[in-house]
Order: sequence, then C-alpha cells, then structure tokens
Amino acid sequence: MKPKTLRLIFTLVILIVAVIPLIFSDRSEPKYMGLQKVLPNVKLGLDIQGGSLLEYSLKVEGTNLKPQEVIDNVVYVLRKRLDAAGYNEATVAKVVSGGEIRVRVEIPGILDTTQAEKLVGSRGKLYFAEVVDTTVSDIKPELSRNRFITVNGQEVGIYEYVQDMNDKLSWYRVKKVFEFGKEPFEVNGSDIIDARASINTQKGGFLVNLRFSSEGAKKFELATGNLVNKRLAIVLDDKVIIAPNVNSRISGGEAVIENIQTIEEAQNSAALIKSGNMPVDLVKFQENTLGPTLGKDIVETVVFAGLLGCGIVLVIIVLLYGWTGIVADIALIYNIVLIIGYMALTKSILTLPGIAGVILAFGTGIDGNVIINERIKEELRLGRPVLTAVGKAFDVSFWAIFDANITSIISCIVLYYFSTGTIRGFAITTIIGLIGSMFTNLVVSRLMLESSYKLINVKKYYKGNVPEVKEAK
Amino acid sequence: MRNIDFVGKRRIFIAISAVLVLAFVIISFTKGFDVGVEYSGGTELTFSINEKMSSSEIRDNLAKVKPDYVSAKIVELKSPAEKQDRHFYQVVVKDSLPTTEEKETFIGSLQTAFDGKDLQKEGLNDVSGAAAVELKSFAWYAVILVIISLLLYITLRFKFAFAAGAILALTHDILITLGCYSLFNIEMNAAALASLLTLAGYGLNDTVVIFDRIKENSKKYRGMPIDQIVNKSMNEMFTRTIITALTTFIVVFTMLVWGGKAIAPFAFGMTIGTAVSAYSTIYIASAVVIAVGKKKKA
Repeated sequence: MKPKTLRLIFTLVILIVAVIPLIFSDRSEPKYMGLQKVLPNVKLGLDIQGGSLLEYSLKVEGTNLKPQEVIDNVVYVLRKRLDAAGYNEATVAKVVSGGEIRVRVEIPGILDTTQAEKLVGSRGKLYFAEVVDTTVSDIKPELSRNRFITVNGQEVGIYEYVQDMNDKLSWYRVKKVFEFGKEPFEVNGSDIIDARASINTQKGGFLVNLRFSSEGAKKFELATGNLVNKRLAIVLDDKVIIAPNVNSRISGGEAVIENIQTIEEAQNSAALIKSGNMPVDLVKFQENTLGPTLGKDIVETVVFAGLLGCGIVLVIIVLLYGWTGIVADIALIYNIVLIIGYMALTKSILTLPGIAGVILAFGTGIDGNVIINERIKEELRLGRPVLTAVGKAFDVSFWAIFDANITSIISCIVLYYFSTGTIRGFAITTIIGLIGSMFTNLVVSRLMLESSYKLINVKKYYKGNVPEVKEAK
Repeated sequence: MRNIDFVGKRRIFIAISAVLVLAFVIISFTKGFDVGVEYSGGTELTFSINEKMSSSEIRDNLAKVKPDYVSAKIVELKSPAEKQDRHFYQVVVKDSLPTTEEKETFIGSLQTAFDGKDLQKEGLNDVSGAAAVELKSFAWYAVILVIISLLLYITLRFKFAFAAGAILALTHDILITLGCYSLFNIEMNAAALASLLTLAGYGLNDTVVIFDRIKENSKKYRGMPIDQIVNKSMNEMFTRTIITALTTFIVVFTMLVWGGKAIAPFAFGMTIGTAVSAYSTIYIASAVVIAVGKKKKA
C-alpha cells in the first residue's frame, strides 16, 4: 500500500473512533447545563461542573488494623451507603498518596454536603432488636412509655419505633436492649464480621448468611435462645433492613436468614448489613465543594476565552501561511476533536488543569505546523519542486516534532504516576493531546498538504530568494 | 538570508538572566507567595450576600465570629450571569474545619454576623494541615524525578551539553515565572502549579526543536565551530520561534484577560512563561550548549 493511502486510512479511522463517542450519548437525558449539554459524554471534574469532593484519612491509631487491610471494606461500605441514600452519581475511590491510603468521595452537583458527610462520617449504627409489635402509620408513632437502663456506661431507652426501609408506612416497636443473662446487652454492627447473599439449595429461595465475632456469637446465642418464635429486626440508622423470625437458638457464630424471595433483596440486605460495619473512624483530610452556579460560570468564561484566543490564532495562521495555514488550522481542529473524543472514549475526567493540558497540546500543535511550514518555505527557497519540498519538510521535521513531544510526554508520565486528583487530570489530557498533536502534524497535515500541494503559492519563494540560496551555499 | 548574531553577545545575556533569576529568587524568598488554600491549609469559603459590602466591613463581620479572622484574606468575585443581584465574596481563614458540626457552626455564626444580608454558601474548600504538607512535599518529589528523566532522554538523543542547556533554560523560566507570582501577588494554587508544569512542557518543546536543528546542521557542516552552527540554526529557526511564541501567547493572554478568576492563576503563569521561554530558548539554552560543548572539547 502506498504511504499516502495508509495515511488516509489512519486519518479517517482515528477520526471516526474519536467522533463516535461524541455523537452517541449514553445518557438518556442531559442532566447538566452548559458544556455538559454540548459534550454529554465528556466527564467533567468537580472543579468545573460543581459538586463536592471529600477525602478522608483512616484513623487506625489505637487499633491493630492496617489501612491496606480495611480500605476495600471502607470503600465498599461508603459505596453502599451513598447508593442507599440516592447519591447514584457519587464515586468512591481509594487514594494512595505519599505512602498513605485514604478514601475519596466525589459527588457531582451538590452544594449542601451535610447529609453526605453524615453518611460518610458515621460509623453506622447497626443493631439487632426484638420486635415487640408492628403498626401502620404515616408519621412516626409516639412511644407511650419507655424504660431507661444503663448499658456500657450509657443510659439508653430500651424501646423505640423504627421505620421499615422499604415500606414507609410500616413501623416496628422494638426493644433494643436484651435483658438476658447477668447484664443487659446490645448486639450491634461491631459484633458482625460478614454478611453474604446465597441461594437456598435445600428449600428454595435465597439466604443471607451472617457471621459473628466470637463475642458477638455468644451474645447472639443468648439472645436467640430466649427469642425463639419471635421476630428479630436488623436496624441500620433507625431503618429496619429485615426482620426475620427466630426459628431456634443459634450457636457457633453463623446465622442464616431464610425465605427471601429475590436474589436482589438478599444481596441488598447483605450489603446494608455490611455497610453498617465501618471498621475504622474516618477523619476529614480535605474538602472541595463548588456550587453549581459558580461552576457553570467558570466553565462558560473559560470556554469563551479559550475559543476566542484559539480563534484569533487560527486566523493569524491563515494570514501568515495562506493555503498551508488553512491546512494547519484543519489539523489543529482535528486534534481538538481527537482529544475530546478520546477523553470521552476513555472516560477521562476533564478538570480545569485538564483544560490547561488541551491548551498545551494546542500550542505544540501550532508549533509543529509552524515548523513544517517554515521548512517547506526553506526547501522551496532552495528551488525544489513543491511536492518534493513538502515531502522533505515532513521527513526532516519528523525528529524535531517527535523529540519535542516525547520529552513533554515523559514529564507527564512521571507526573501521572506521582500525583493525584487535578494534576493527574492535567497529565492525562496532556498525554492524549500531545500524542494527538504529533499524529495530526506528521500524518494528517502531510496527507492534506501532499494532496493539495498545487494550492501552495510557490512563486513568492522561488522568485526573490533564489539568488540568496547561492549565497548560503 | 537573515543573519542575526545571537550567540556573539551570549555572555551579556547570560549575565542579564543570572541577575534576573537572582532578583526573582530574592523576591520569592523575601516577599513570599500568596499561597492558595490547598498548600497553606485552612478553609476557603465562597459566599454570596444580597448587598454590596466593602472588604473592611466584611472583615469586621468576620472578626465578630472569631477575633483571629481579622487577618483573613478577602476577595470580591464577579457575580455569575444568573445571579447578578447577589454579591460574591471569597474568604480564607487559617482554621481547618474537619467535622460537619464545626463547619455548620462556622457558617451559622457567619450568617448571624451578616445579619439580614441573606448569606449563602456557594462553595467551600477545606484543607487539613496534613493535606497541605503532603501536597507541598509531592511537588518537589515530582519535579526532581521529571528533571532526571528529561536529562536522561535528551542526553540519549542528543548530548549531555544539550540536556544541561535544556534543564538550565527550564529552571530559568520557572524561577522567573515563580518570582512574578510573588511580585504581582498572584495566588499559588493547583492551577498555578499546572501552569508551571505546562510551561516546563512548552519550554522544552521550544528548546528541543532548536536542538534538533543544531544536530542536523552539525552533520551538514562538519568542521564548522559550534558557536557558528548554533547561530546558523537559531537564524533558521527564528521565524518559527517567534510565530510559535506569539500564537501561544495570544491564546493564554486572552485567557488571562477574559477567562475569569478561576483560570487567572494559570493564565498568568503561562503569559509570563511563554515570553520568558521564547527568550531563554534563543539566548540561554543555546549559550549553555556552546559553553558546555566547548569545555568538553578542550
């Protein structure tokens, strides 16, 4: 195959791959305004679209836990809690930085972080309680009387009304404190080690398997032993997850909840039970919250200024170089489409420093085109035929453009590995941008110029400059 | 053909640059930086109120909340298009407010202090002391690694002299740009850091392209003294250096003027940097190449 045909194929294929994710949105309805409407598939950073970033350290001092052991559990717990509270767009991620492991929660579009912080910050109050009776009510029923006793040094009311998690009208009056054995006790989240959903192979339906710690197992055995044929509610943050019947005394630290109709219900219950079990305290490391109004304003101003600046430059290049300038402009626009398309494709997040990366790519893209155009001029001044001049200019400029871009790419790779958050966003957009810029300069521009070399105004260079060529030699 | 003597006066330019760099380093150290909350730690609150207030009135109200807040940094922001009737301010206090309660108390007591002004939170950055320390230490770590890998690559592709020239030119650009941040009180934040990084990439690109031409010409004109080769290459690449610098300058300058406050710390560094980098590519990088190259031969 001729190099030109090969270049044409590459140019088209790469363009098509970049454009597809831009045209076909996988979001059914655009949720955000402004830039998000135009580019629905490009994920915007919180510093652009608004939202809240909350990062927490794991407080392991005073426990014998190691951060790397519990981090997956912490991420899992937070994910489940945020899902349960309806923050479906939130992301939870482990952050490793400077030898420390932390957890980062990002919630787009919110300004009031109080509820989210409460969800994240709490250890989660999960407990088991005896169901005394159930009522139907659209408001929380009042307790007619309560009794207070001291458990673990704290005075608690032993009765409480708690709501069903799924059926808002259904209320349970529960007894939170078990008064069996020598001392009254509670069974709570810290007594549970694990909860898993599985299939009931013997009786059909689905199960949740619970595993208790050794101390939890003793308490659970004592409680179930005294509550046979009664209901035991599992309560998370004052909502009943599930309230199964106690069939028999459960010893050995393993319990099974039977008769669950669907696998989803079993999985969900298991997840919620586990999510009540945050293994460590979380201490806020940093917060970054930007209201959607300010975010929108930032995007609009920055995009306006960026487009204005780039527009001016595109015009200047055409004025300077004529036809080759138009080709350079097409190449620059091609590169911007590539960057945005591949960001959408790889689901990279565009942050404010990321926009900086796009500008850097735009700058080096201009440079590449200028290098080539200046070289074409030089070759023309030496009296070479146009097509030869164009070919030679590209061949000779290859290493200059390659070296220049590779040095920048190397710095960005180092940055990518040693940074987090916004700077990482910069590194990734810059890498995509520089590779794109190299490709457009060396392949796309060449294809266009070699196909249209007849449009290059050569007389200007052949005429006045030929005598000087002799001088130079 | 154009023939400007770039390298003949290189000692003068190196001296000028040395003085400039020294001056800007002294400024950076004595004047210090307007460090953004992500590197200083503390809380940066953006709020809006329904009435225009002067900085000193805001300061008085802050002091009502806590006497220490008298020293808070206060910036008035432009109101966004859809909330033209409200006035936006940003205040930075040194305290980090890690718990939800502390934060609610802070905003609650501000609302009391700004009685009747309908104060609303529009954004909040809270950076704990530990986070600030870590972000700062990361920066140095990364910079050193970047420099080492660049030295290796350029030495491999060109010669050590070229690597030395590129790194010195780069250091020159960054130090002067940093000094300008200090001199003009521009906030040093993540965006400013991104600008320095972009600049490093851009400056390198600028320099390496010239090096490539020097390499090409050294092969073409064997036996020609290094300073003549460098000067010839600079002349051949002069138009390119100027056009590239100018076009990039236009983009970043437009962003500085019309891009708003959020992008300003970035655009500022880029605007200064593109100008400085064009200068250092022409006068510093190549001068170092000549100096180190000559020493090696001798």
